[in-house]
Amino acid sequence: MTRIALSLTINGQTHDVLAEPHRTLLDVLRTDLGLIGTKENCLEAECGVCTVLLEGAAVNACILLAAQCQGRAIVTIEGLAAPGQLHPLQRAFIDHGAVQCGYCIPGMILAAKAYLDTNPEPDGDGVREALAGNLCRCTGYQRIIDAVLSAARALRTSPPSQAAR
Amino acid sequence: MMPDDAMTSATRIVGRSVPRMDAPGKVTGTALYAADFALPGMLYGKVLRSSEPHARLVRIDAGRAARLPGVRAVITAADVPDVRYGGSVKDERVFARDRIRFAGQPLAAVAATSPDAAAAALTAIEVVCEPLRPVFDVAAALAPGAPLVHDAWASYTALPILHRDGNVCNRARIVVGDVERGFVEADRVFENRFTTSSVHQGYTEPRAAVAQWDSSGQVTVWSNTQLPFEIQTTLAEILQLPPSKVRVIVPGIGGGFGGKLRIGVEHFAALLAMKTGRPVKVMTTSEEELTAAYARQPATVAVKTGVTNDGRLTAREARLWFDTGAFAGSGPGVASVATLMLAGPYRIPNLLLEGFAVYTNKTNFGSFRAPSGPQANFAVESQMDIIADALGLDPLELRLKNIVREGEEGPTGQVLTAVGLEECLRRAADAIGWRDRRPEVGRGKGIACGWWTTTGGSSGVYVKVNPDGTVALNTGAAEIGTAALTGAAQVLAEDLGVQMADINVVSADTLSTPFDFGAQGSRTAFAVGNACRAAVADLKRQILALASKHLGVEESALALREGSVVGAGKRATLGELARISQASGGGLIAHGTFVAPPTPYDTKRVEGHVYPAFHSPSFHAHATDLSVDAETGEITIHRYVVAQDVGFAMNPAAIEGQIEGGVAQGLGQALSEEIVYENGRVLNANLTDYKMPTARDVPRVESILVQHPSLVGPFGAKGVGEPPNIEPPAAIANAVASATGVRITSLPITAEKVALALRELAK
Repeated sequence: MTRIALSLTINGQTHDVLAEPHRTLLDVLRTDLGLIGTKENCLEAECGVCTVLLEGAAVNACILLAAQCQGRAIVTIEGLAAPGQLHPLQRAFIDHGAVQCGYCIPGMILAAKAYLDTNPEPDGDGVREALAGNLCRCTGYQRIIDAVLSAARALRTSPPSQAAR
Repeated sequence: MMPDDAMTSATRIVGRSVPRMDAPGKVTGTALYAADFALPGMLYGKVLRSSEPHARLVRIDAGRAARLPGVRAVITAADVPDVRYGGSVKDERVFARDRIRFAGQPLAAVAATSPDAAAAALTAIEVVCEPLRPVFDVAAALAPGAPLVHDAWASYTALPILHRDGNVCNRARIVVGDVERGFVEADRVFENRFTTSSVHQGYTEPRAAVAQWDSSGQVTVWSNTQLPFEIQTTLAEILQLPPSKVRVIVPGIGGGFGGKLRIGVEHFAALLAMKTGRPVKVMTTSEEELTAAYARQPATVAVKTGVTNDGRLTAREARLWFDTGAFAGSGPGVASVATLMLAGPYRIPNLLLEGFAVYTNKTNFGSFRAPSGPQANFAVESQMDIIADALGLDPLELRLKNIVREGEEGPTGQVLTAVGLEECLRRAADAIGWRDRRPEVGRGKGIACGWWTTTGGSSGVYVKVNPDGTVALNTGAAEIGTAALTGAAQVLAEDLGVQMADINVVSADTLSTPFDFGAQGSRTAFAVGNACRAAVADLKRQILALASKHLGVEESALALREGSVVGAGKRATLGELARISQASGGGLIAHGTFVAPPTPYDTKRVEGHVYPAFHSPSFHAHATDLSVDAETGEITIHRYVVAQDVGFAMNPAAIEGQIEGGVAQGLGQALSEEIVYENGRVLNANLTDYKMPTARDVPRVESILVQHPSLVGPFGAKGVGEPPNIEPPAAIANAVASATGVRITSLPITAEKVALALRELAK
């Protein structure tokens, strides 16, 4: 099949990729660019492990064509904080014991990031609603909710300098 | 780091909520999972699965598929050794050869340069088969004259202790006393029947494997298995190789819950890699997970219990039939465990308990977190409430009157120690406000209790002191998400007098790590922790002997403290001693091992039983407070409390995480999850229609950690991972009955089911 030249802006850097037009952003991120922090599972936008930020909104990369993302800013878990740094959400997930197997966590953190960017003073119900598209089978969600609420407080008092691109 | 309990004031690291060691990699997306693993030149494998549930396979033609662009190999039964494998019954083959036994059974596999090309090739494989009369459930499989799922069952290699007969691949039995006499002694006899549906483990990472052969004829498989050593053995059997030619490495696992115990896609990857000479990756789809994985067995349970008017249980006769699907798999063992669960944590003098694993034309169901636990517990704990209501007794009082206590016998005669059940029941009941059991119309509280095992098996570790004084823990166990290896590392750090930050873990590589029975049965922190204790004991001897020589101080005057050996005013750090040993003695390294001591039981009480006693059993009680909408039947959970006897809370936050997650999963089984079958085919093989709980559905779970120390576990710990999954269905069913008067006897307890029952009740 004919490939098309794509220019993708991921985590602030431009990546030129040759890909068939039907290929998803998830596939290109993982296979062509080695950005494996974005996870693969159901491929039908039900589980949320492939969540990335597209122009700041949480989207399922498994049902998004890479070609649709040209000229739009994409953030993956690798770009949430500078290397060696942790975003307050990442810090809070560790501190609150919100991580078990961890496979859902990158998507969960990015879904939470998108939500907090527009809802800086959330309550528990709001967070539950915002994360309802991200399945976690290990934690029962409570520690994830607690971590997001705690990160929201931290972000209000001291927004990260490097992060939140 | 704050101490969580006064009990732990004597310890530095165990008993504290230490953050899990692998969390930073997981939150930054740098942690590697098997599904992420890739090699240069790697091909993608996919599996053609039968759409017929029961058929004679007449012909399979892969000629056209093999010629499609990008396709590098197509393999069928004709291309692989004709080997039957399996755990307790060797009844399974890699591909169907002449007979198809379930819709989803592998028929062929393709390797191609892209997943798309492999998928396209699957559709080009021609399959001709002639349908046979199927058996879709246990009742059909046990009916007189039912077709046999395996005509040649009697010729299969199987564990000799199994009781097999036709479509029954095991009947496990416990007999105690005389149930008929027990029923005569009873004032009332209750007979009830319950059914449960199949539910999937729901791990978010699909099963995945990458295989590569090297020039020496060794195959390396990177897989997300919970049991690398079992996969090594099974692969060796399938590939007809000595085990040393098979190396299994677990890069990382995105959840298992028992679904990644048995061989999944590793053999397809290995066979395709052998055929193509290239590395091959195989990863399951959601459809494959829901049609052809190791979901929980559907069960039918019949319970007959005799009781005196004052609530003393006199006898129980109970049978549990598991639909094990087309192959035995875990079924014979799970049917055995079920009998111990049918007894419940109760003192019942006369028992006749049977667990059956029955072949049907469905997928081979397997082990799901506390296998058999929720099915059996739903039945017996629902019946306890039925009995209490009929006798006019409080369900809590009925339980307290009959529960096992310290020093008493379990159903097979094992002597029970560290029995914290009464404390669990009382604290859960107090927390939920049990005195006010029906606070308003349509609202009620329910309670359920149970017991569970800490699985035995052996574990080995190598513990090595690095030249900078840090410590490497090398274990054959895989970290599946429970933080069990963080728990083991806590034991190691505690005993060796170092910090958590000083410990690095290397795990789960059959070539380089010592044997481990695997991440199953709530055993990892327990067994690996104890192996660490053994290693430290050896290492301390080495360290003190070396330090004595180096410092010129008698060993008896030396002590290991905060990463150094001190005594007689002198000091040598662990790093110094490691460097001295590296220069002169090959380094400081110890091999620590542990095997759970056998739990004695009365062999005369059991037949066909592969799991006759629970090692270091745990005890637990769940209580919930919920409302039921009178119109829609919808259930709103206000509170959910778990009191679990964990022996010793090695890492309280991690244990609470296990409880919260186990309850969430249990609530899925209780309320919404069901793999729906129609004529042997799954109707909801996708995550849109298979409903797992989301963040909106799971209530806050309140955990109470009860600590009656085990005699065997490290610092008294018991297994904690599986138990929280056991009681949710029964606790919910009992609370629904308390709220509405409606007794739901089948899972899941959907709003529709409750609404229909409410309408029936109103008639």
